[in-house]
Amino acid sequence: MPAYKLTYFNARGRAEPIRLLFAAAGIKYEDARIEGADWPALKPKTPMGYLPILEVDGTTLCESTAIARFVAKRAGLVGKDDLQQAKADMIVDGMKDILKKLILMVLEKDEIKKEELKTDISEKTLPEFLSKYENLANPSGFFVGDSLSWVDVTFYNLIERVRAMFPGDHLKGKPNLVKVMANVKANPGIAKWVKERPESAF
Amino acid sequence: MPTYKLTYFKSRGRAELARLLFAAGGVKYEDVRVEGEEWQQLKPKTPMGQLPLLEVDGVMICQSKAIARLIAKDIGMAGKTPLEQAQADMICDSLDDLGNKLMFLFTEKDENKKEEKKKEFLEKTLPPTLDLFEKLASAEGYFVGNSLTWADVNFFAFFDLMNGYIPGDHLKVYVNLNKVMGNVSSNPGIEKWLKERPESTS
Repeated sequence: MPAYKLTYFNARGRAEPIRLLFAAAGIKYEDARIEGADWPALKPKTPMGYLPILEVDGTTLCESTAIARFVAKRAGLVGKDDLQQAKADMIVDGMKDILKKLILMVLEKDEIKKEELKTDISEKTLPEFLSKYENLANPSGFFVGDSLSWVDVTFYNLIERVRAMFPGDHLKGKPNLVKVMANVKANPGIAKWVKERPESAF
Repeated sequence: MPTYKLTYFKSRGRAELARLLFAAGGVKYEDVRVEGEEWQQLKPKTPMGQLPLLEVDGVMICQSKAIARLIAKDIGMAGKTPLEQAQADMICDSLDDLGNKLMFLFTEKDENKKEEKKKEFLEKTLPPTLDLFEKLASAEGYFVGNSLTWADVNFFAFFDLMNGYIPGDHLKVYVNLNKVMGNVSSNPGIEKWLKERPESTS
């Protein structure tokens, strides 16, 4: 029985950065996926009423970023010292804003508003975000220090999500970010997971 | 002890958590408050064009939680083990989720709609969330372990800020949460800061 049980829906969604980190570190865990119909019964047993949750050492954690940071610590992928870890935290949190905008766009039911949001993202928000992040990554393709960290893995997952919603060569002219993506894909654990993971719509 | 310089606008906002933590730890720092032209000059030099900004021995860290977590580590209030640290992170991320639901205060221009949304927040959104936070706080009034962490201080800062926008005794029926608030406000450094801090409406 693995020491970790991750529970989420049958989707990549907010759980995928965590799964990628487990894979990168070669840490065994139970990858529990529930059906929508099973959610109402589970919901009251979660700390804040949503997924993903991670059960570990008799405790249940929620919040995908908190869980990801915890797994990254166990995997030695958080940064060498407090200041590097703070830099990592800052770069990860900075990704939330663009993710929020993407999700709002996907959920928008009004077709006209949806198109407006799409245009705002593809012409303004996304290019601005990628410019900033190109400056935050180094030429070796790492956001923190000179080796793979959870920031790189989280960024990789974000770009995969962006590409699914907005096909396009968004990283053209951004060599540092291209290297980040390559570094993550080249990690053997991640490469194996990406090949073998369950198919899901999102 | 590193040298700390915190830069924000002339308000509590997203910087007050850092200021409360510095106060709790008795850590000296430069509390810089900017506006207008001064901010426009500084903006392009910051990692993400946002405040608050913490400079630690000259290294720039942005994102309010990344900043707060770094200070919390320095003053021994981040949580004693990786699991406790994850629990603190989870509470702080959950507070941000709740804060996101208050964004209408700034984005809703129609005063009538704003009042409707305030009512809906107070009657439908806040109580079930506080029910969950109440369960996560201990009877002694701590979210993590049995001593003050940045999770408790963050909870205090949240309501300190919210009360400015929507006055009220929102925690009236919550025994554990009231204890959390009491533990934070009676911390000697915080108590002193609350008395002496610059006035601001938010």
